[in-house]
Amino acid sequence: MNPFVTHYRVVGALLIREMEARFGSKPGGYVWALLDPAAHIILMTLLFQAIARAPALGTNFPLFFATGYLGFQFYQAMVSYVNGAVKSNRTLLSYPNVAPFDAVAARAILQSLTTALVACIVLGVILAYMRVPPTLHWAPILEAATVASILGLGIALINNVMFLKYPLYEQLFTIVNRPMFLISGVFFLPDAIPLPYRDIVLLNPLVHVTMLFRTGFYDGYRAAGLDPVYLYNFAFLTLFLGMTLFTFSSSLLRNE
Amino acid sequence: MIRLEQATKFARTRGIKKPILNEASLVLQRGRSVGLLGRNGAGKSTLLRLIAGTIRLDSGRIIRQGRVSWPLGFQGSFQGSMTGEQNVRFVARIYGVDTRQLIDYVQDFAELGPFFQAPVSSYSSGMKARLAFGLSMGVNFDYYLVDEITAVGDSNFKKKCQEVFRTRLQSSDVIMVSHSTSTILDYCDCGVVLEGGKLTYYDDVQDAIKAHKNNMKGS
Repeated sequence: MNPFVTHYRVVGALLIREMEARFGSKPGGYVWALLDPAAHIILMTLLFQAIARAPALGTNFPLFFATGYLGFQFYQAMVSYVNGAVKSNRTLLSYPNVAPFDAVAARAILQSLTTALVACIVLGVILAYMRVPPTLHWAPILEAATVASILGLGIALINNVMFLKYPLYEQLFTIVNRPMFLISGVFFLPDAIPLPYRDIVLLNPLVHVTMLFRTGFYDGYRAAGLDPVYLYNFAFLTLFLGMTLFTFSSSLLRNE
Repeated sequence: MIRLEQATKFARTRGIKKPILNEASLVLQRGRSVGLLGRNGAGKSTLLRLIAGTIRLDSGRIIRQGRVSWPLGFQGSFQGSMTGEQNVRFVARIYGVDTRQLIDYVQDFAELGPFFQAPVSSYSSGMKARLAFGLSMGVNFDYYLVDEITAVGDSNFKKKCQEVFRTRLQSSDVIMVSHSTSTILDYCDCGVVLEGGKLTYYDDVQDAIKAHKNNMKGS
């Protein structure tokens, strides 16, 4: 049998299975995928509106947080969902034509589509309620979303192997990854940080993701320090590492 | 036809490296059902998984011509959180079989009643075995890899399995692992004995059983 047809079929079957498991098991289903980020953005808006007069960029609080949060979410949601792809589909790997990578592919596809849909709806609603909606620049928006997803996929591929091999690493990763939300420029602008520290903050590739994502929404945003080449290098190198590790760990993933 | 060429496989646990297959070669012709014999821990189930392709050889190769099933154990390869029906649907999709037809067949065969729509984790081992067996019979394979599955279930179910299996075996072959020699005699024409990493083929299943019994006496 043609291996491409098999993979295509298996990924399709896994995709349906993941959707059933993720959205079919609780009432509300798919709506939760939408409500969760929306609630985050509303909460941040309320909190920061009480503290500050205007957001660091523009005048619209929801737009500022949504652009930061959703750009970041292309990475974060991908990692947290695809991390366990092999682990939670392990019994299905006893079918010879189901490969470990199929489980990863199915979850990655489902997650990027979900995040994209959520971003469209949440940002669409915010833009519709603005008095003077900005002109969107689609190139940087799509660029940021794609690179963030690739980075997330790369890290998730590494984690699929490492979580199984070293359970302690899972704890460590959770500790390191949690503050990413705080230091990735979701609710501050890295440009505003004084210089010796700004360079340190800019080492985090996710800062470049949120900056790049925001340049698509804010015309006058200069994004000082944004380095797309650094971001691309980091993301593709991670993906390459992840794929290599994943390929050479097939016996571990198959639970031999 | 299934052919093993210089197949080598080691079992590794905590630094201990034990050969399961040591440069073993074997040809299984189409049209003959094979009983796989060997002592406990010799690696019969591992050999089945190697033939199925879920695990890989350390060196050598396995050539398969024809559709080979997944190894049918009595636990089944079911995802516990999915219902019986969802599991069946999944298998239909990955093997490209008509979904509706397979569901109807398995539902009828496994006699799970309302449990067919319940998560597999709530099944008893007998129910899982019935689902596993029904499911594999519903997909048309050239080779069925069976790991002790016929040993489960009450006498009624066994009889039913036998009937279905017999009709299947007219056009398909089975490669079977069982500790019960009578089951092997029932289904298999020839036999393979796995001992010390080597595979010995016997054209008559009786000879294979004899050789196996000899091995067991020797230790």
